[in-house]
Amino acid sequence: MALLELEDVRAGYGATSVLHGVSLAVPEGEIVSLLGANGAGKTTTLRSITGGVHWTGDIRFGGRSLRRMHTEDVVRHGIAHVPEGRGILTELTVDENLRLGSHLRRDGAAVRKDYDRVFEYFPVLRERRRLSASTLSGGEQQMLALARAFLMKPRLMLLDEPSLGLAPMIVRAIFEIIRTINAADRVAILLVEQNARLALDVSSEAYVLEVGRVAVSGASSELKGNESVRRSYLGY
Amino acid sequence: MQEFSQQVISGIASGGIFASLALALVLIYNAMGLVNFAQGEMAMMATFVAFTLISRGVSYWIAFPLTLAIAFAGGILVQRIVIRPVERAPLLTLVIITLGLATLFNGLAGAIFGYVPRSFPSPFSVETVNILGAFVSYRDLGVIAVSGAVLLLIYLLLQRTTVGLTMRAAAHHPEASRLLGVHVSWMLALGWGLASAVGAVSGIMVAPIILLEPNMMQTIIIYAFAAAVLGGIESPLGAVIGGLIVGVTVNLAGAYLPFVGGDLQLAVALAIIIGVLVLKPNGLFGRPTVRRV
Repeated sequence: MALLELEDVRAGYGATSVLHGVSLAVPEGEIVSLLGANGAGKTTTLRSITGGVHWTGDIRFGGRSLRRMHTEDVVRHGIAHVPEGRGILTELTVDENLRLGSHLRRDGAAVRKDYDRVFEYFPVLRERRRLSASTLSGGEQQMLALARAFLMKPRLMLLDEPSLGLAPMIVRAIFEIIRTINAADRVAILLVEQNARLALDVSSEAYVLEVGRVAVSGASSELKGNESVRRSYLGY
Repeated sequence: MQEFSQQVISGIASGGIFASLALALVLIYNAMGLVNFAQGEMAMMATFVAFTLISRGVSYWIAFPLTLAIAFAGGILVQRIVIRPVERAPLLTLVIITLGLATLFNGLAGAIFGYVPRSFPSPFSVETVNILGAFVSYRDLGVIAVSGAVLLLIYLLLQRTTVGLTMRAAAHHPEASRLLGVHVSWMLALGWGLASAVGAVSGIMVAPIILLEPNMMQTIIIYAFAAAVLGGIESPLGAVIGGLIVGVTVNLAGAYLPFVGGDLQLAVALAIIIGVLVLKPNGLFGRPTVRRV
């Protein structure tokens, strides 16, 4: 049984429906990418999982249905969602943002170790600890969002376009750390990306959404090698 | 010079009272972008609770924290019962609701306790003590000490505790906070409770000076508005400093400007509100509002 399972999920905003029956699965400890054009429903899929949008069908996490569960309770079950726009609290300092990641944890010693690891992954966050998060650059904010998600000690991370608007060098660094977190802690990751090539490189499986439906899915290596899939859906 | 410093210290004492009520306004403004027009009446209700306790023989220093606890619970109750069902309503609806609450509390207090002004005990004597040549009443010193302590406690709660951190997070970024597991709705309720308790401090401190009756907070709330606007309606620190500035200014104007005297002090507060809105709409500590177009 997969860690996260979506079964025929339909969702939308008001009268506009965006997802027309999406089914997918994220196995324990794996990275799965969710690809597709703008408006295909990638972000809405993530928002459905954490209850940010009304949905029907079924979503199960660790065998438990998330139906009618409030966002804050979904999160408390072990899902860290780095949303579109990163969800940085710009009124607060870098340190306060990080503390909001770990504020529900009771395993103090492990939390301190995780802070050490965060600062090892992202030394710049240690330097900027006391500064307002609004002073960080886009890349640093993405690092902060990722660090904060890591401190939540989730079983699953939902990452919404971590590469958006960042310089290639920073994107590489961030993806390196995504890979490290996944490998070292067996954190499963559902990765939404515009940059299909990058996403297929780090993930083991991939789904391609087209207008609210799964158009293609399979092992990332196969999708990468399939010329016609690449041309018609991934655009490179 | 001696009279001047006396007026300043007495102004700081009134300022502490305004600051407490202004802080209550700011706490709720931060949480929901709304000025709670019922804040003064909620403080007045709490003061009647304290009065009832004290007149039943409860000692002042037990009645005081007990009243704050009751006010805290009352604030949470108001948020859960009245505000929460209309949380997503347009701002104007919410404003009307707080105005309605103010009328409700005012009428309720009148019905239960009557409109005859009552004297409210103060634990501090009105005798004066000579501090560096200025004669200062123990009551002023007591008010300064109590409101100072309460404001400091609120500051420590908001800035140094996890609950305070999640409250600030929920107030500024509700959506992002939910994704971090913060129960935003409960944090708003907590904000109302806290505001209600801080407001109650201002009621209890001011009642011995102006007598207790259902309308007693109606002028005080104007001074609190002035303080909050001056400090920048979003800033807790601004509310406190704004409160002190308003207290001292109003007191000095009353003492030294013959045409102001005791009668036109409220006009000074209104002038401050208008002056700030015209000259520096974001107040002393407010951030300018920037909108992307």
